[in-house]
Amino acid sequence: MAQDTGGAKAAAPWITAAKPEYTALVDEKQIVTQKYGMVNVPTAVWIDEQGRIVRPNEVAFIDDRFKSFTNMESAPYIDAIRDWAANGAKSVYVLSAAESKARLKPRSDDRSRADAEFALAEYLYKQGKGADAIPHFKEAQRLDPDNWNYKRQAWALSDAERDYGTNFGKEVKKLSGRPYYQPRKLPEAKKGANDRRN
Amino acid sequence: MINSLFMLTVIAASVVAAHAADQNTRVIIYDDVATEVSAAPASSSDLWITTGDLTRATRFVIKPQGVCRDELCFPLPKNRKAEFVSKKGTTTWFNLSAFAKLIRQPVVVDQKNGVWYFGARDAEQNGYLASLEAPNFTLPDLNGKLHSLADFRGQKVLLVTWASW
Repeated sequence: MAQDTGGAKAAAPWITAAKPEYTALVDEKQIVTQKYGMVNVPTAVWIDEQGRIVRPNEVAFIDDRFKSFTNMESAPYIDAIRDWAANGAKSVYVLSAAESKARLKPRSDDRSRADAEFALAEYLYKQGKGADAIPHFKEAQRLDPDNWNYKRQAWALSDAERDYGTNFGKEVKKLSGRPYYQPRKLPEAKKGANDRRN
Repeated sequence: MINSLFMLTVIAASVVAAHAADQNTRVIIYDDVATEVSAAPASSSDLWITTGDLTRATRFVIKPQGVCRDELCFPLPKNRKAEFVSKKGTTTWFNLSAFAKLIRQPVVVDQKNGVWYFGARDAEQNGYLASLEAPNFTLPDLNGKLHSLADFRGQKVLLVTWASW
């Protein structure tokens, strides 16, 4: 699910290179980011056969290329996915409804406004009014300051230093190690273990 | 000569008319669909549109029981109807921005370009938190073919987002 204002043109080289056997979609209005209340990429959600969320938003690295940045191994998460594929609802990584609900928070008014400001900015940008879009991208960032999709997408559409007085590297540095992804909370259970914990 | 002068006058008059129309033209984005409408001349902080444009842009219709779309009806507060509906001559105007506040729908505006964006209501946006039913969406693949999350019912779905930026 490419979260890309640049649409198919921006996403195509990556999708083509990946030669996916799965369904690869292009989300140029970041509809999934909005509907699921996401704040960064990569983010994953597990959805069961009945269409129910069994693990809500969490960071989902599938290799270690960003490990030096994030200090996070991908292997435990990949093992968790394999366990779910094999064991379905019995997987120790499938959360109870109560736990999923506890992890999902109702959207704040500020987040709802941020979504609207971002969507308005995206519309103006696509109408060729990139300069007029910037104040709305900034307002979305102000309203939802932990939303890295709204920061990084806006910065990528113009000269971040010139128009926003910052860049990705600088902003990450400001966090002094504080995580900027929706955290991954895997149980400390052995792969294939059957003692479902919640 | 007289002919050319006449033509010039006609052109000038058309330009003025077009300009006047521009001043009242607004774009409403509702359910992610953009629609051009004519706003009431005095509209600035509020967005007053005709009831015809209301239905065209949002599918809402004013009925005796409230402002309705399909089965969904929002009654207007009894003592505050004038804040939402105003009849001038043969035209009935509706205050769409005040209505958005009433139904707790985020609304943002770009005054310079006359674009109003209406987002999802809190109730729509947070509906899945109780049921845990994954919100549906429909998006294209690289070939433009549309896929909905609902098409994958009966299978496990690992939904992963990424970006090129």
